[in-house]
Amino acid sequence: MEAPEVATELFVLLSAILFALGTLGVLLRRNAILVFMSIELMLNAANLALAAFARQWGNLDGQVLIFFVMTIAAAEVAIGLALIVAIFRTKKSINIDELHLFKH
Amino acid sequence: MELTLFIIVGAIAVLSAVLMLISQNAVHSALFLVLNFACIAFFYLMLSASFLAMVQIVVYAGAIMVLFLFVIMLLGAERLLPERNPRFPWLVPMAIVLALVFLVAVSLAVIRGEIDLSERASAQPYIRVVNVVDQLEGGADVYLDGHRLVSGLEYGQASQFAPWDRGRYDVALYKAGADPSAEEPLATIKVDLNQGEAVSFTAVGTAADPVLVVANEDLRGASRSDALRVTVVNGVRAAPMIDVVRGTDASEDAVLINDLPYGEASRPTTISGGMTDISVFSEGVRRDRLVTFENRDLSPEQGQLWVFGTRYLPDNSYEDVFHVLETNALPSFGSPASVGLALFARYVLPMEMVALVLLVAMIGALILTKDMVGERRVVRRRLANPPPELQAPITPEATASRTTIEG
Repeated sequence: MEAPEVATELFVLLSAILFALGTLGVLLRRNAILVFMSIELMLNAANLALAAFARQWGNLDGQVLIFFVMTIAAAEVAIGLALIVAIFRTKKSINIDELHLFKH
Repeated sequence: MELTLFIIVGAIAVLSAVLMLISQNAVHSALFLVLNFACIAFFYLMLSASFLAMVQIVVYAGAIMVLFLFVIMLLGAERLLPERNPRFPWLVPMAIVLALVFLVAVSLAVIRGEIDLSERASAQPYIRVVNVVDQLEGGADVYLDGHRLVSGLEYGQASQFAPWDRGRYDVALYKAGADPSAEEPLATIKVDLNQGEAVSFTAVGTAADPVLVVANEDLRGASRSDALRVTVVNGVRAAPMIDVVRGTDASEDAVLINDLPYGEASRPTTISGGMTDISVFSEGVRRDRLVTFENRDLSPEQGQLWVFGTRYLPDNSYEDVFHVLETNALPSFGSPASVGLALFARYVLPMEMVALVLLVAMIGALILTKDMVGERRVVRRRLANPPPELQAPITPEATASRTTIEG
């Protein structure tokens, strides 16, 4: 296996930047769909770090874990979007600031 | 070159993430996220995770994002309302500060070298045993530092490749059923197992005086699709040195292996596949052809171990034999084959649990949206057969007449 040209550190840094951006999206955006998209971004950032370390240690476990994360993300999106649709039907809004009451 | 690509694509990834965050239209956000996922798929390719790159495109950028866009368009939520009077005015600066703190912490850890990246490891070494010792009764037992690798391995057989820890080992060959603590080994050899190697301990020679040969194979797959990698072991006792030649005459350009001493293995050599004759010559001098093996089919994309040996016949004469041990090239790191192998060998149980989670998610999505389906049915029935007084006027004239009647 020839030596890689791009160091693992750079991938970890990039993954940290993307993760921070995803966190910002979760905290700042009020649209529930955008919050979900930001969570996907965070999951992808974590996956990128996993892939970088999998190459670093020559160990496939990291890549298998990425596969599992992708599968779980698919399940999470299915449930989450179903929730959003159900909430939109009752409250006519997907602004998460307006979802703080259980009544009405 | 690779670094330049990394910087360009990394910049695109960060930019698309930022644009996803700040764009006011949810559809634009989703499309920027698709761009971001494509960049990450590119990084997977750079990290030799080719299978995951394809899964990323198909599952993430394809299936999941289609689901997102579908829901956005279904709810008509693409135009976002301006986010007025936030309930927590301190949340925006707080979130930005927290994100910056996180970034600085991670960067410090990376820059100061707190992450241990000193040693780049590749795959574990793989080892196996090949027995080409004639007339060894009951087969061969091979011990590695006292651990039994194989027992009763018959003549001409090879054990399966097994992963082993790297390190320095003493390899010892015994007759089948021998007690390693009491008996002297028939042959021993010291070996260094390094990361990523595929080593065949090949026993050659006669039962009275066997020799263990360490043949280092290269199972990473040949660089060309019509080529294969060959490692040759010389077990012909009568020939101190051999040359291995393609074809039957010893022209210089057909020599595959030059001057291989008895009891040693060649380095892995890449040769092209196809039907061919393989001849073995005594060292250097091209006049002395030991034997020709005709019409050998060399199938490409394999690793092959060739062992030339001698076999004694009942009438006390001997013949030269040619053992070909084929190994399909080990799947390269991150390829679909290797990921699939890991999933279905070591990770079967987690795989089944994830499948169960997906099933639960399907049922959950059905249950969550079940009430809506009922509502919609009621609405449809009402619309299909409304009472006359609820029927809406259709044309302006009808509206006018109705108003006059009511007035």
